[in-house]
Amino acid sequence: MTRLLTLAGIMLLGAMGGNAFAASYPDRAIKMIVPWAAGGDTDVIYRALAPLLQKHLGQAVVVANVKGASGTVGEREAASAKPDGYTIFAPHDYIHSVYYAGLTDIKYDKAFDPVCLVSATPSVITAGAKTPWKSFKELVEFAKANPGKVKAGASLGSTSQYSLALAAKAAGIKFTYVPYDGTAPRMNALLGGHIDIADSNLTQKGKVDAGLLRFLAIMTEKRNPEMPDVPTLKELGYDVEYAVNRGLMVPKGTPADVKTKLGDACQKATQEPEFAKAMKLQGTEVRYMNAEQYTAFLAKDDKITKDLTKDLGMLKRE
Amino acid sequence: MTLGRDGIAGLICLAISIWLLVLTRGLPPALMVPIGPAVYPRVVIGIMALLSAIMIVNDLLTSRAAAPAAPAASRAEPGARPNYLLVLATFVAFGVYVLLLPYLGFRIATFLFVAVLQVILDRPRSWQRWLLVVAVAFGTTLACHVIFEDYLSVLLPRGDWSGV
Amino acid sequence: MSHYELLLTHIGTILHLQYLIPLVAGTAIGVIGGALPGVTITMTVIMVLPFTFGLDPLQGLAAMTGVYVGGSAGGSITASLLGIPGTPSAVATTFDGFPMARKGEPGRAVWVGVWSALLGGVLGGICLIELTGPFASIALVFGPWEFFSLFVFALSMVAGLVGKSVTKGLLSGAIGLVVTVVGPDPILGVQRLTMGLNFLEGGLPFLPVLIGVFAFAQLMPDVEQIRPTGQDHASVAPKRMSLQVSMLGTLWEVLSRPFLLVWSTLVGVLIGVLPAIGGSAANIMAYDQAKKFSRRPEKFGTGIPEGIIASESSNNANVAGSLMMIMAFGIPGDAVTAVMMGALTIHGIQPGPLFITQHPGVAYGIYAAYIVALPLMVLVIWLGARFWLRIIMMPKAILIPIVLVLCVIGAYALSNTMNDVYVLALFCVIGYAMVKGRIPLAPLILGVVLGDQIESNLIRALATDPDPWLFFTRPISGGLIAASVISVIFAMWQHSREAKRAAAGPEEEEDTDF
Repeated sequence: MTRLLTLAGIMLLGAMGGNAFAASYPDRAIKMIVPWAAGGDTDVIYRALAPLLQKHLGQAVVVANVKGASGTVGEREAASAKPDGYTIFAPHDYIHSVYYAGLTDIKYDKAFDPVCLVSATPSVITAGAKTPWKSFKELVEFAKANPGKVKAGASLGSTSQYSLALAAKAAGIKFTYVPYDGTAPRMNALLGGHIDIADSNLTQKGKVDAGLLRFLAIMTEKRNPEMPDVPTLKELGYDVEYAVNRGLMVPKGTPADVKTKLGDACQKATQEPEFAKAMKLQGTEVRYMNAEQYTAFLAKDDKITKDLTKDLGMLKRE
Repeated sequence: MTLGRDGIAGLICLAISIWLLVLTRGLPPALMVPIGPAVYPRVVIGIMALLSAIMIVNDLLTSRAAAPAAPAASRAEPGARPNYLLVLATFVAFGVYVLLLPYLGFRIATFLFVAVLQVILDRPRSWQRWLLVVAVAFGTTLACHVIFEDYLSVLLPRGDWSGV
Repeated sequence: MSHYELLLTHIGTILHLQYLIPLVAGTAIGVIGGALPGVTITMTVIMVLPFTFGLDPLQGLAAMTGVYVGGSAGGSITASLLGIPGTPSAVATTFDGFPMARKGEPGRAVWVGVWSALLGGVLGGICLIELTGPFASIALVFGPWEFFSLFVFALSMVAGLVGKSVTKGLLSGAIGLVVTVVGPDPILGVQRLTMGLNFLEGGLPFLPVLIGVFAFAQLMPDVEQIRPTGQDHASVAPKRMSLQVSMLGTLWEVLSRPFLLVWSTLVGVLIGVLPAIGGSAANIMAYDQAKKFSRRPEKFGTGIPEGIIASESSNNANVAGSLMMIMAFGIPGDAVTAVMMGALTIHGIQPGPLFITQHPGVAYGIYAAYIVALPLMVLVIWLGARFWLRIIMMPKAILIPIVLVLCVIGAYALSNTMNDVYVLALFCVIGYAMVKGRIPLAPLILGVVLGDQIESNLIRALATDPDPWLFFTRPISGGLIAASVISVIFAMWQHSREAKRAAAGPEEEEDTDF
């Protein structure tokens, strides 16, 4: 019994001591807040990153899925965490739109310091096999002749709607949006013919090859070597690009040396061939940016999102 | 005319549903979809209110007829009156545990909770039993910590005050 | 044929230590949990839940399947030896098991039960493996209209079937739906009814709600019975009992009644398929059926094996039926499968019509775990025979705090926030209040599980086509709506008939669990 109590004492002291002398960051497990459910696109990407970060930081990086309310619950949790580098936030582009659409009061640049950009998942406009359109051009013609008749599945107010809205704006057409959250339910609805088009990514290649779905256009600058037959919107004459970008942030006020350490680990982790391989399976490109580049990138993205939110009639604040 | 247990339950549910209905005021109008965020809640809360009302009416109609039979229904076993004091104490202990968890951290709070609740439920009358209480509390805490944090990588709450 | 090849491959997978250990552990914990009076299978699976967060999906599900199978059988041990059902799904086992044990044949009572559970489980498993696929392909053609109507039908049927009052059942279901309305709406995440409380901003996720409702609803009635003198569970400690008996003899006793066995199994599977009714109804229904078909109905209740066989084979087959429903439609057959469904969604797997095609590994893994769990259950009971009595007697004062701590971990680890723990605490109070108000809990749970889906599908349907009549004119959807109305009317008719009969002879039975 005494031995057990001593052990407990050591355990307690050890844990407390670790907190008091935090000079050698990191000396305990780091919590990575992913604001979406486990198993989703975002989760899978960060779960591939976590062990590689761990390798370069020398401490466990534990993914914590804090889901709910379009990702804003996790955002709040991360924003209110101690800025000590033991909580890092793993968001994607939704952080802009949820602010402008009034779903949260947190403006990303007020609450977080960007650390690095990790990956980009290009959007692909996808149609169901039951639709008559073989190309994006046919879709545009149909939509022009029958305004509001094209049913598009999307998570309303999130990236899967913004990509389609961006393309629609460029082509001068309008879709009717039907709420389907998550890529998997959208693909099921496409397969069942309950919706006509949806945003997806290269992970759906298998179903396209099987003739169950059709890729109409990819929203990147150049064609993707995996799917050389799918034209980009740019070459079709619409000057738009869209990808879902994912990066790491820390709560505002995190010490500079901690941010540097995280940034370095992030750079090394994204360079691992293992990471590139994992991303390829997710239809995603590795896209590393350091803190400075990422900050500028976010600012540009923020502006585009704001304009689109306005176009969709969802803008709640400037 | 007295209100039975069902009637009271119905009244509580009715009150809650009316209060929730009031709360649905001020929700934004429909955006991009045909029905707004207030429509569905109003429908289901309305159903809840209606059913509560039916329950109250049912109770009022039957309780008069069945009033004399009421004691039989309670079917109290001899000497087995529910120990509500203990129930209340358990609730309070649990409530305090949950409230203190984010401040004391999982390890300290759980040790205290398991020890205290054991004492509340069954007061030890010998020092061996006290030792058992402490051992169980300590064992539970240690086992949870080792299994979850160390083995399964499930992070448990850390205390804001204690730092563990 | 690749169907069975797949199955065999996955049985091979399950036999790897990495899956076998969770499965064995789950089965053993299930048997213990099922055997402990006052701890139901639901409670046990809730306690196992937090452990599965850190495991891979199949490991977690193997553990839970083990609990489910082990629990159904474990309940019969207590039922036979003490005359107290270890879990509600073993109520009918006490009718004949306990008299048989008192006549000096406790071993026979336990082992007839165990063999019936095994054989019922095997037969149920065949249904599970054969029927889930066809079920799922029916569900594949469902659009938002059909799903909406299906969920409404499930809810109305449960509300009508459980408890003693249709109004209370429906009210409980309505409360469940209201619970899902709190927090962000499913379309744009607009906050509803949160009263500015931060912890409600993520809504009321269903696992914390379910854990909360069950934890206190099931544990508090035990606390109520603890006497200040410290003499709780004052149940007469049974004298040393020997469970020695001829295993083959008891196995033959079961096998020599094939009609009874198959019929009880079918009753079990069927009840399992019906949403949220579960084992507590299956065993009584099967017992009732067995008595009706028997050539010696007057002997039932005196300690004859038929009663035990009917009860035990049906409640294990019921497990298979419930598993079938989550895998094909994503509708939990009872609280245990509701927890399993939650565990799946935590790992990002949405049970439903596409589950088997999208996650064949997990789906066949569940089949395999189910099949492997059955013999394991027999093994666990056999090996542990001498300990069961001691474990059953574990003091409540030690058990209750530990269970509550595991509940808290389960809620917290779900999304790593205290918010879910506050939700848990809130629903502890609500669950206990509902038990005291004699409002059944099953419809509430189903309401919470299906609420968001009902709303999303309603809005999807209207966003796809604004015509609301489509809910009635699309044939499957219309049929399901009609069935919901009929089921409620039928339940009302049946309850009024029972009420008239009950006026003659009072027969009160408390049902706080499924």
